[in-house]
Amino acid sequence: MRHFSKLTALAASLAMALAVVPAQAGAVLDRVTAAGALKVATDANWAPQSFMNDKNELDGFDVDVAKEIGKRMGVKVVFVTPGWDIITAGNWAGRWDMHAGSMTPTKKRAEIFDFPAVYYYTPAAVAVHNDSKATKLSDLDGKVVGATTTSTFEAYANQDLVLDAAGAPPFKYEFKPKVVKSYSNSTTAFDDLRLGAGVRLDAVVSSQPSINDAKKAGYPIKQLGEPVFYEPLAVAVERGDPEFKAKIADAVQGMKTDGTLSKLSVKWYGTDYTVVK
Amino acid sequence: MLYPDTVESEVIVHKPWFITAMFAAILACFLALNLTGTTMGELMRPVIGDPVQSGFYGRFAIAFTIAVIFCLNVVLIGFAPLKLQIAIVWLELLLLFLAFFETFHLSLPFIREKLPFMITQGVVTTLYVSAISIVIASAIAILGAVAKLSTNGFAYAIATFYTSFFRGLPLLMQVYLIYLGLPQLGFVIDAVPAGILALSLCYGAYMTEIFRSGIQSIDRGQWEASRSMGFGFGLTMRKVILPQALPVIIPPTGNQFISMLKDSSLVSVIGVWELMFLARTLGQKTFQHMEMLISAAMLYWIMSICLELIQSRIEHHYARSKVR
Repeated sequence: MRHFSKLTALAASLAMALAVVPAQAGAVLDRVTAAGALKVATDANWAPQSFMNDKNELDGFDVDVAKEIGKRMGVKVVFVTPGWDIITAGNWAGRWDMHAGSMTPTKKRAEIFDFPAVYYYTPAAVAVHNDSKATKLSDLDGKVVGATTTSTFEAYANQDLVLDAAGAPPFKYEFKPKVVKSYSNSTTAFDDLRLGAGVRLDAVVSSQPSINDAKKAGYPIKQLGEPVFYEPLAVAVERGDPEFKAKIADAVQGMKTDGTLSKLSVKWYGTDYTVVK
Repeated sequence: MLYPDTVESEVIVHKPWFITAMFAAILACFLALNLTGTTMGELMRPVIGDPVQSGFYGRFAIAFTIAVIFCLNVVLIGFAPLKLQIAIVWLELLLLFLAFFETFHLSLPFIREKLPFMITQGVVTTLYVSAISIVIASAIAILGAVAKLSTNGFAYAIATFYTSFFRGLPLLMQVYLIYLGLPQLGFVIDAVPAGILALSLCYGAYMTEIFRSGIQSIDRGQWEASRSMGFGFGLTMRKVILPQALPVIIPPTGNQFISMLKDSSLVSVIGVWELMFLARTLGQKTFQHMEMLISAAMLYWIMSICLELIQSRIEHHYARSKVR
């Protein structure tokens, strides 16, 4: 009988979920204040920005930044973890209010999202296998290169990257790969790279912190040359609520001014990535 | 055996031509693979000397040993009674798998640390998502089968369109379509209900076909006899057709349940914290995802075995008429 009532409850919640009408645009701030909770979408597979820690809770730089923003807005933070492609597809329909997952504010994305604040910059770098014969980035011309799908790393490898956020330093394309392989996350790409130089991949374009983490975990890979570009990374919200945007921008500006942001960056990366070098 | 009888026949694995053929095949296979650099080469060191320098002699010796052990094993198993044979083969295959996993050098303490969370969060979510979907899919399937067999053009058209559409799209695409598409129509649906809806609709379509073919497998004479006795549609279905159709329907339906259990992993793309999601996520920070993937694989397997056992119990129940 208990099972039956549970089933009916679930069936009812299913019906409810189907019947809810989305909140009107422009009312995100009202919704957040009314609920007293900021729903933040983030990736659970993107250490050290956001990942599951020993206690099986979300943790990391992005997670800490989101929590701090919530604190400054006076609401508690609830995390949801949809896939990256679902987040970037837009049309959040009120399922979550903000995205704190190191999104690069490209022009295309700016058509769907508002970026209230750039909160740090990641150097993007190229990793190769330890046995690789490549000594400089141009050696990767005509090779097979892997990157996370729909990421700026993939766009860079495809020579299709647009960085137009304020403060993004200029960059140039150092190599032209023959094939760019897409992966659902950087770990899978590193897994293919570790098989050997040129077995499945010759190189992976990823963030410098991820490459360093993989090296620390014993992956036989190394960074090739200097970082290829500096990626400004921002908090994203859906377009249409300027007040909500301003609130977040204020919170991030406050964190920059009193040094909280730099402290968090040093805590997670060992260096201050919140300013461009 | 299809129907156990008392006709004695020779054991095939004891026939000389079969043993010779098997031996030759195994020998050729392992000659083609160079195993001198593996653990096998190390084990053979007393016979072949340094495995790396042993050359073709080393390769042949290793292949020969493996072929002898394999054939001896098969011949010996041939002497055992049926139940023992099954048990031994299962055990040997299991050991081979464990040896395969052993080569990954997994960190057992890490698995032990994460296993409780994988079960309380992952297995529980996977189970309730699949269980609800199974119930809804079965209901859809019965309705769909009746509609597909009816002479009502409207019902028939809807049912055929439904099965064609939902069998014709990849399940992953259905998950995306429902999760991302329904909000465009004004229905904001959460991740878990969206996943359940996609699984139910997809598997409902497959099971509609299973139910329909099961019902159609009953000879039309049964239907005519029942109708001529004055039984109505419902009574004929309940008392005559379905009891005979169920033994036909149950094995493929069990297949569907098992396959749904694993396909529920597709809802991890929309952020449901079920077993597959945790498997990909938990070991990510420390690059121990192989540990998590294999643990999750084992958990899925255990759940599937439970479903297999339930299915065979039900099949036994319906096979009573065939027991002598």
